[in-house]
Amino acid sequence: MRALKIAATGMAAQQMRVETISNNLANMSTTGYNARRAEFSDLHYQQLARAGTVNAADGTVLPTGVQLGLGVRPAAVSINLAQGALSATNSDLDVAIDGKGYLAVTLPSGNSGYTRDGALKRSADGLIVTSDGFPVEPEITIPDDARSISINPDGEVFAYFQNTAQAQSLGQLNLSGFTNPKGLEAIGSNLFTETEASGPPITSTPGQDGLGALRQGYLEDSSVDPVREVTELIEAQRGYELNAKVITAADQMLGATTQIR
Amino acid sequence: MENAGYVTLTRQSGLMREMQVVANNIANAATTGFRQEGLVFGEYVKRIDGGDSLSMATANIHNTSLTQGALTQTAGTLDFAIEGEGFFMIQTPSGERLTRAGNFALSAEGDLVTNDGFRVLDAGGAPVFIPPDASDVGVSADGTVSANGRPLSQIGLVRPTDPIDLIREDGVMFRTTGEVEPVPDGRILQGFLEGANVDPVGQIARMIEVQRAYELGQSFLDTENRRILSALDSLTR
Repeated sequence: MRALKIAATGMAAQQMRVETISNNLANMSTTGYNARRAEFSDLHYQQLARAGTVNAADGTVLPTGVQLGLGVRPAAVSINLAQGALSATNSDLDVAIDGKGYLAVTLPSGNSGYTRDGALKRSADGLIVTSDGFPVEPEITIPDDARSISINPDGEVFAYFQNTAQAQSLGQLNLSGFTNPKGLEAIGSNLFTETEASGPPITSTPGQDGLGALRQGYLEDSSVDPVREVTELIEAQRGYELNAKVITAADQMLGATTQIR
Repeated sequence: MENAGYVTLTRQSGLMREMQVVANNIANAATTGFRQEGLVFGEYVKRIDGGDSLSMATANIHNTSLTQGALTQTAGTLDFAIEGEGFFMIQTPSGERLTRAGNFALSAEGDLVTNDGFRVLDAGGAPVFIPPDASDVGVSADGTVSANGRPLSQIGLVRPTDPIDLIREDGVMFRTTGEVEPVPDGRILQGFLEGANVDPVGQIARMIEVQRAYELGQSFLDTENRRILSALDSLTR
């Protein structure tokens, strides 16, 4: 009885949907987080009667045939790359990316990670690092005696000192864009790594080549929309119950079968 | 004497198939672009010796519901829903396929692809290429893709010339045996996805109907079994 197994794939799919939603809601306040959506696709179809089969001696053919589907499978958990709202923090090392692109950081392995979380900090050595302590690429060191830091929309970092009116340029923050940013692999801690599907990073000055501009003193909020998530959650829960109902019905049909003697 | 049993059996096996169809519809209630399917019972008439005929049930025809599914706003740049008729045309290794699932992405090369990595074709049958530096990708209702204010391509909408010529394949795709034609006045909505057009209430009602009909058949088979037993009993006494 395949109906049992088909309904089981449906229950598994709805469960995965609930898991994705709960992860989104858990990250409602995560800086730079983008909501994920579980996407599904139907499974293989069994051909019981092929379309085009000759049906009778006079040559009439079956117009559509019989195809029985075998259920549902998860196709993707796709990331919705919508821009989150910007909230003002007034911290001079907080930068929000207004538009496309990622900040590149050096991971302890030496590889590059990419993030939209611009809550940058200063390490003990004066390097600009992320909240996890990974240095931003290219490395920029802030001198100890710098009074304040200014980052312009194009990513250039300036330091102001106590006794000079002239700002000193410390370096340039770049952004990395990808042909297919949905193909990046999330590794946690708001970080992504490049994959075969994302294509290589295209690093450029913020505001150019389709990349966004930097906004100092702002952070990008999570783009999770709680209303949408809760509606989805209700749908997923009811979908789960419907599939469970099918299992009950299929089971009762099997029960009726075994009662004949 | 066994004919009654065999006739009931054709109905029972058809109902089992229909249960599977209902289960598949409900399992795919959250599948983007999924089209609900139904099974149609037909009559299969067999001539029997002595001039009479025997009518059996055969669940041999399936139909695909083409009603519009609910549209969900996702705000995704590469999420598209078709409003009204038509299908997106995609290129797979085994030929061109149709789909209503518009949750597309870009490949590493910059082509518009489905979740399974198959290229989406434009009105002229070529892949839709979006350059990596394109910042404001917009798609108008007629499928014209533009980036930075410049038109790039036009996503094609097609339909089979014979409306029932749709053979299901996994991955929410359809294959056609005949020709396809462009849809005049097709409408594409950007930032929306079309959900499955499964009607849960209708499906659950149908499921209960199928289940009860099946139980009815089983109790008929049961009675038939007892009738044959008692006939054998009295004939052999």
